[in-house]
Amino acid sequence: MAKAAIADRSVKEFEEKQEWWWAAEKKRSSRLDYLRKAIWKKGAIGGLYAPGVKVDLERPVLQTQKARALEFSPDPYVIKFAKMIAHILDNKTIFITDNAQLVGYTGSLPHTIAWDPSLGSFLNEEVYNDPTAIPDPAEKSQQIIRDVNNYWIGKSDLDKMIPVFDMEDLGKMLSGSIGWGVPIARGGYSSKDYEYIMTGKRAYQAIIDELNQKIDEADEQTHAPGATTETSKIYDKINNWEAMKITLEAGIRVAKRYARLARIIAEHFEEDSNRREELLRVAESCEQVPAYPPRTLQESFQYDIFIQMMSRTEAVEGAWPARPDYYHGPYYDKDVNIKKNLTKEEAIDLVGEFLIRAAEVCQFKPKFAREGLQGIDGTWVWTIGGVDKEGRDACNDLTVALMQAARLVRVANPTFGFRWHPRVKDEVMREIFECLRQGLGYPNIRHDPVLIANSMHWYGHPIEEARLWCNQACLSPCPPTKHGFQPMRMANATANCAKIIEYVMTGGYDPVVNMQVGAETGDVTSFTDFEQFFEAWTTQMKTIFSILVRAVNRARTLAPNLTPRPFLSAISERSIESGMDTLTPSLERGNAWVTAFTWVENIDSLAAVKKLVFEDKKYTMAELKNALEKNWEGHEQMRLDFVKNAPKWGNDDDYVDDIMVRCLKTAAKFSKELKCPSGNNWPILPENVSGNIHYANIVGALPNGRRLGDALYDGGISPGPGLDKKGPTAVLKSCGKINHITDGRAFLLNQRLSPTQLAGEKGYQLWRAYMRTWADLELDHIQFNVVDDSTLRAAQKDPEKYQEVIVRVAGYSAHFVDISRKTQDNIIQRTVQGL
Amino acid sequence: MTTCKDCKRFFPLEDNPEKGDCVERIVDPRQAYYKSKPVNAGNDAVSCSSFQKK
Amino acid sequence: MKCTECGHNAPLESFRYLYNARIDASISIRQCTNCEEWLAVDELKGVVTQKIAQGEAPWGKSAGIEGLASD
Repeated sequence: MAKAAIADRSVKEFEEKQEWWWAAEKKRSSRLDYLRKAIWKKGAIGGLYAPGVKVDLERPVLQTQKARALEFSPDPYVIKFAKMIAHILDNKTIFITDNAQLVGYTGSLPHTIAWDPSLGSFLNEEVYNDPTAIPDPAEKSQQIIRDVNNYWIGKSDLDKMIPVFDMEDLGKMLSGSIGWGVPIARGGYSSKDYEYIMTGKRAYQAIIDELNQKIDEADEQTHAPGATTETSKIYDKINNWEAMKITLEAGIRVAKRYARLARIIAEHFEEDSNRREELLRVAESCEQVPAYPPRTLQESFQYDIFIQMMSRTEAVEGAWPARPDYYHGPYYDKDVNIKKNLTKEEAIDLVGEFLIRAAEVCQFKPKFAREGLQGIDGTWVWTIGGVDKEGRDACNDLTVALMQAARLVRVANPTFGFRWHPRVKDEVMREIFECLRQGLGYPNIRHDPVLIANSMHWYGHPIEEARLWCNQACLSPCPPTKHGFQPMRMANATANCAKIIEYVMTGGYDPVVNMQVGAETGDVTSFTDFEQFFEAWTTQMKTIFSILVRAVNRARTLAPNLTPRPFLSAISERSIESGMDTLTPSLERGNAWVTAFTWVENIDSLAAVKKLVFEDKKYTMAELKNALEKNWEGHEQMRLDFVKNAPKWGNDDDYVDDIMVRCLKTAAKFSKELKCPSGNNWPILPENVSGNIHYANIVGALPNGRRLGDALYDGGISPGPGLDKKGPTAVLKSCGKINHITDGRAFLLNQRLSPTQLAGEKGYQLWRAYMRTWADLELDHIQFNVVDDSTLRAAQKDPEKYQEVIVRVAGYSAHFVDISRKTQDNIIQRTVQGL
Repeated sequence: MTTCKDCKRFFPLEDNPEKGDCVERIVDPRQAYYKSKPVNAGNDAVSCSSFQKK
Repeated sequence: MKCTECGHNAPLESFRYLYNARIDASISIRQCTNCEEWLAVDELKGVVTQKIAQGEAPWGKSAGIEGLASD
């Protein structure tokens, strides 16, 4: 919309028309407006990065340069790697954006995407073959990329890992049919020991002091009379501690570089006296953190950004586990309420900028990941609300400020997961509702009592730790504590579950990738009853989960030596204490889970086969098999029969709901037989990110009536679009038949509501009543899209005008115009539930 | 030889004037910012397109 | 089936199947292999119902409770 047109209309006019994005633009401060518009959108659109966004070649060159220099050094790998990180931080280009009060970015310039060349040659090849993201002049860039790539062949993490994997499992996994991602410990979702590093008790310098002491003591031990088996382990510990120290010292130095730049701008370039003062505050802030604990809200946010920047220099992180209100809230309270250093408006500016700094973060990812995370770089689902260690309400003024700031900056990433519990105040619920009503699609709402009990059930986390949970990725709670936090959840333990039912029909042969991936469960036409069919389903489920879990377990076991994380270790109490890399499985309690993409297709398919083939005998199994092999071509009437004349999940129909519960309980039982390297369980977590679109051309035709090419259901335990015909309470009741504590790790539920119906106080009260039912039924999750058809269709027609419309895709939000047409249509066709 | 030390954009470190930062203002299509890159004072600046004589 | 855009006439299954966003509807999107236009196809009748342009809604409004799905 033209600037003049926005200026001519009032906030009220925009709000009445539910054009929340224009209202937000008018309401936010000029600083936030500038910073929001300054973001280079990094999320891929259709798997490709947006025009103008380029791969950063500075980091790979620096890293390769240092790796070459160290190649023949006697240092152990962990120290070499720490030195590479330090070299990057010491020499990278840094920048400070006009009006910014917070600094730090993973790349060298605002429009760049950070690329870590040491992760895998397959990723490096993708960089080389992505002409849209290669900086100009292309020929020179390609020469640089070739040189970098040639160096890392055989030396990158995955290249080192592949030879020590089981090749059969690896082949099946890398076929792309059943799993997602690759098993490396520097690419995935890293939780962190926030209880150690974010509570204001210590920062980098205090840890360095402790490390020095540890190294001195260990050195003394190795030279004291005597030699035991423990003595020989000390040398490795000293190396690990040294590596940790190298990264922390580099972290302090890079912060000082930002401080120096801020001072140079203030003293030599900036003419505005207010901005000069701000820059000097930025400088002071970067001189304080991360070396010393923060003193103010600005420093607290800055500290967090530096930690994230470093962690993302060390690894590619596809998620951003965080609990910002809990850890930054005390600083908000101190600055705004106690010392009154900041007005609420100034605080909102800082909070909004904190969201913006996170929104711009990006690391180069393979195409399959970009397709699965349409429109965003990773799932930054920040956790807010909830309870403290003692079980008291942990909501604070920053909980509210985060939601208010989110409505002003309207970024699609980060989003929030709100931990609901019975003592959450009405004023906080109203803030959540306002975010939903204004079409953000977040916060999603999580049932805290259920999820705390769930964490204790599956992993034995003590209640005081379970209560501190934050999302490790989209939905999975993880305690940010010494032994509770999981340093890496590898994305390849993500099962494309629709293949379970597909393989039952094909005897484990995958017709899309043309290989035997599943178990050989025999010719489906020979099955004489549903029990035989279900037994084959169970075997396929166990086979797929096992292939994925074995690969992750292998990678995690090898990780401390092959792919260590010295920085993540340096901010982990257990590593400081033990001298072992934080990826060492024995240091962790275990918090593994199998993400179950495309789960509900199994349930609707099983119900359809049970009813139409085995009970009604309307079709033979041979007829069904034949129709599926032909992708239902020429069998449209039969296909519609399998869709419309078999019970569907989400309608409070016990026939199909019992199948859902049976499948989940079968999987849950097996989850306790699958063990992670820490010795704990692998429960399943049904959700989809946007895998339902990625897998559309990988999953063949299914007995629920779906064809190869169609989007799968939007995931978790959400009913198929348009198939939940009995209203919102029926959906909740179906979902309420699942035990959300013992049947799995978490269960995503998408619901779509009418913005017209949610208008005003009446809308709020309707929603509260609905949420009471949700809470009473003890569902662990729910999230909402509150955008009408006409807005979404108009956005398809005229995307330029609707750049800021946000939708909840699956476990994350995205700007509607940044997702594919197929995903857009899939979202539009979700049922609008009337409350 | 023209070196970084001769450039307006070079800001030496107080404790080691042989090293410093090259600070430059950039205006890209979305935002304006200052960037900084560590350089040595004696680096050859003859072919540097950003060079501005002090 | 005949393409409404270029007149290409061929069996329905030879038009490239793209997707159906409403599994319970008999409308799918297929691509004409001759002119490459996206077409909405009635799978039961085997006829093209419309050409797909941005913002077109071949499946009609979203499903939902009667009287509330119109927005």
